[in-house]
Amino acid sequence: MEAKPFGLVFFPAFDWSISPTHPEREERLLYTRDQISEEGLLDIPGIREYKPRLAKVADAERVHIGVPDIKSLITDAHLVSAGGAITAAEALMRGEVERAFALVRPPGHHAMRVVHGARGFCTINIEAIMVEYLRRFHGVGRVAIVDTDVHHGDGTQDIYYHDPDTLFISFHQDGRTLYPGSGFTDEAGSPQALGTTVNLPLPPGTTDEGMHYVLDNLVLPMLDEFAPDIIINSAGQDNHYSDPLASMAVTAQGYARLAEKLKADIAVLEGGYSIEDALPYVNTGIILAMAGLDYSRVVEPDVERAPRHTAKTAAYIEKLVLEQYALWCKRQELSHKAVLKSGDYWQRQRSIYYDSSDIGERQLENLRLCPECQGFMTVATEAEGGDSGYKSAFAAVIPRQPCGACRRQAKDAVLAAKRKGGFQHYIIQDKENDFMERL
Amino acid sequence: MLLGIDVGGTFTDAVIVSGAKILAQAKVVTTHGNLMYGLLAALDKVLVGLDIRRLDRVALSTTIVTNAVVEGKTDRVGLLLMPGPGMDITKLVPIEPYILSGYIDHRGREVVKPSSSEVEDVCRQLSGTDVFAVAGKFAVRNPRGEQAVGEQLARLAVPAYVTFGSTVSGTLNFWRRVNSAYYNSAVWRHFGRFAFAVRQALADRGVVAPVYVLKADGGTLPLEAAEDYPVEAVFTGPAASVLGIMALAAPEGEAVTLDIGGTTTDIALWKDGLPLFAERGAVINGYPTSVRSFWLNSVGIGGDSFVRWEEGLLVVGPMRKGPPMAVGGPVPTVADAMIVAGVTAFGDRDKAWAAMRQLAVNGEETKGLACQVLTAAAEKIVQAVKRMIEARAAEPVYRVEDIVYSKILEPKSVVGVGGAACGLAPLVAKGLGVSASVPEGAMVANAVGAAVAKPTLAITLRADTERRYFTVAELGLQNELKERRFLLADALEAANGYLARRASIAGISIDEVETVYAEEFNLVRGFQTVGKIITCQQQIKPGVFTRVSMREDI
Repeated sequence: MEAKPFGLVFFPAFDWSISPTHPEREERLLYTRDQISEEGLLDIPGIREYKPRLAKVADAERVHIGVPDIKSLITDAHLVSAGGAITAAEALMRGEVERAFALVRPPGHHAMRVVHGARGFCTINIEAIMVEYLRRFHGVGRVAIVDTDVHHGDGTQDIYYHDPDTLFISFHQDGRTLYPGSGFTDEAGSPQALGTTVNLPLPPGTTDEGMHYVLDNLVLPMLDEFAPDIIINSAGQDNHYSDPLASMAVTAQGYARLAEKLKADIAVLEGGYSIEDALPYVNTGIILAMAGLDYSRVVEPDVERAPRHTAKTAAYIEKLVLEQYALWCKRQELSHKAVLKSGDYWQRQRSIYYDSSDIGERQLENLRLCPECQGFMTVATEAEGGDSGYKSAFAAVIPRQPCGACRRQAKDAVLAAKRKGGFQHYIIQDKENDFMERL
Repeated sequence: MLLGIDVGGTFTDAVIVSGAKILAQAKVVTTHGNLMYGLLAALDKVLVGLDIRRLDRVALSTTIVTNAVVEGKTDRVGLLLMPGPGMDITKLVPIEPYILSGYIDHRGREVVKPSSSEVEDVCRQLSGTDVFAVAGKFAVRNPRGEQAVGEQLARLAVPAYVTFGSTVSGTLNFWRRVNSAYYNSAVWRHFGRFAFAVRQALADRGVVAPVYVLKADGGTLPLEAAEDYPVEAVFTGPAASVLGIMALAAPEGEAVTLDIGGTTTDIALWKDGLPLFAERGAVINGYPTSVRSFWLNSVGIGGDSFVRWEEGLLVVGPMRKGPPMAVGGPVPTVADAMIVAGVTAFGDRDKAWAAMRQLAVNGEETKGLACQVLTAAAEKIVQAVKRMIEARAAEPVYRVEDIVYSKILEPKSVVGVGGAACGLAPLVAKGLGVSASVPEGAMVANAVGAAVAKPTLAITLRADTERRYFTVAELGLQNELKERRFLLADALEAANGYLARRASIAGISIDEVETVYAEEFNLVRGFQTVGKIITCQQQIKPGVFTRVSMREDI
């Protein structure tokens, strides 16, 4: 028996926790480690384990605008976890593996573009850091990110909300019933990227059948049509029926079959806090499925207690899929209309709460809807709370391939703001030159 | 007086070590049909003129187990597995296993008891088989399932021997334990016959000293104890060599050691004066096992390596076309180059020169060409050493601290043993920019290693203070944890106690104990710390009784 070339970056961070009794603690991947070791998965020909590299702060600043800066907000663990995702991507790019799984912690999908602290156990977005690394150093263009964590991947959504080259699909337990309380169908991207953010809120109690209905009838067809260069799976495992922080009913078999069908090039672990009853089995299932091996015997001892699929849930999901697919088919037309309606600029004002750091942020984004490029944007941010007190910054983001006007105007906007005063920090994130400038 | 015998692929060597000196040595040709002939010939030869009553110990490093596996001199084994949920292992093991439905989970909970009717059924199908191997997933955390099947086998099948997966290794890796348990049972009878023959032959000669067998981990076990775990005695040759180097040269700190033979060079890396162990275990016949062994890398360069030009480049090895031309071989070899370069002297010097002249197709100066050959050969070893250092640096670690503060191994010296060491080891050292040494006695390093290797044993203790029990896998123990407060330090102390018990059962004394690994996790349920999971493995530190040098008058 030989696996298809498969890379596993396993990093359980046995010496890192948010706090001793926090769900993100040393013990989280202990039983997963035990199961992987006991199965002997790493001895299977074709399966190769990689040691994560340490990401650079610059890798994080390619994505994030940290206030006051990223370095002071993170620990080494975050750089190992982001580095683990990059290690998985590098193994893929070198052609050493066909697929890779960064089974690492701490997670990242709740970390947004602007970072004041930690939200939903995340400080920096490890998938986004990996994706931007791939774009910068490996010429990857179109990317699809499928977030299968039970919580809405609001951080990843935020980072790619204006990017029509990144398709972000998140299915999750309905935000009316679960943290972070977002991820509704109307969050679909800013006008020029409308339709490349897809949210599929699922009712509590959704089972393998429900999840696979969404996958077969919506997610896979969308991926086919979008034709990305690379597919990333934000592989949270908290849709499991035993997860203590959510109310879904997916099994290890359901997750393994999802991994098999999705054929993600790279999976990155996100949440999943049923550390004894779910994670050992779900991770074993995903590894076997991604390596092209038989996973049919990966069954939880207590699988009988998983709730059954109900007609009500089925009906809801069928309707959701139908509506979303209709919108998907009309996305270009809808985007065109939205651009016309918005004019030259699109604005978004939000309050963002950092539950893990107890920080409240007010943020105003101003995006230029540029006919030549993705458009520059400015973001004005003020935060209060946590250990650091009041913090504020005004930043401009120059896109990867800016037109001359956007490039100039981005810089001018920050200079003007600085002259006017009122913020502590003035920052230009120059994605074209891969450079973070502080004025 | 310590007697060491190493049965190698070509020669069987014997040495007598006394008072840190090699008192006598003997070399005979290995007798492949029956290793005993060569072994006893070497024994008789080395003991000539010595008082056998002065022998304190006889230690054997043999290919008996390796050969039994390679030559298929193995028994039919009834392999009974309880894999529980997870990867399908059926096609991954050396023979078709019988799958039973009982299983243990990762916390050591017996989720499903083994089914007695299934065992009865297997016994009917296996009538006539009398050696068995029984292994369950996570049995190292609860041996009861394996033991229950064992008890039933004892009643129904009257087995000659049963190997339990959890006792061959206390470490997680079901697949490896299954393979270990299988091979242990498969070679059990063959090894038993060998042990019997050894005892009888020694008794015939009036040798009353205890007999020990070398294991792949470089430690020894009394012959009686080794009969229960013959699989441990696989691949002892390289282990004997590493131990020999320890006795003859005692490399300090970080070092590279080379055993340069006829066709291959075995490379070992050392840290803190000790050879590094393989991360998981030895591979037998293509099957990964849990047999602990040194981390060795074999590269196809040796004295007999074929030397030729390929597309304008001097190429050495990895193939061997025969012995060196100096002793009548067909093609130029590394050893011929060594003779011409003046670093060794054997065979017909003129034929060695003829070999190098034959190679000098572009009119190269003969001696210069010989040096070029040696440099090319050494370079291949240097590259292999560098790859090992890189592989070591790339070994996954699971703590942030170990990533941030990872340190790359920087060998400070090269020690070479084996026939071609004197020619190549200094050049390898030069390539790595470090110093070299080739200890005297390097030609019999393996036998020296066997002679002076200390006994070793390991024990794995795992305590689950929430579930209030602990297991000692190698002893098949699962006991209630009485102490309310049980920390890593307590676990280590308890493990030392069980190590002492296991050592006394095996009939060996403990010199120095070391921790192979130790970890301690807090168990949190509902934001409350409810207990700890502590795992540690303690072992008798592998090593040598004494440093050894050549007798002054040799």
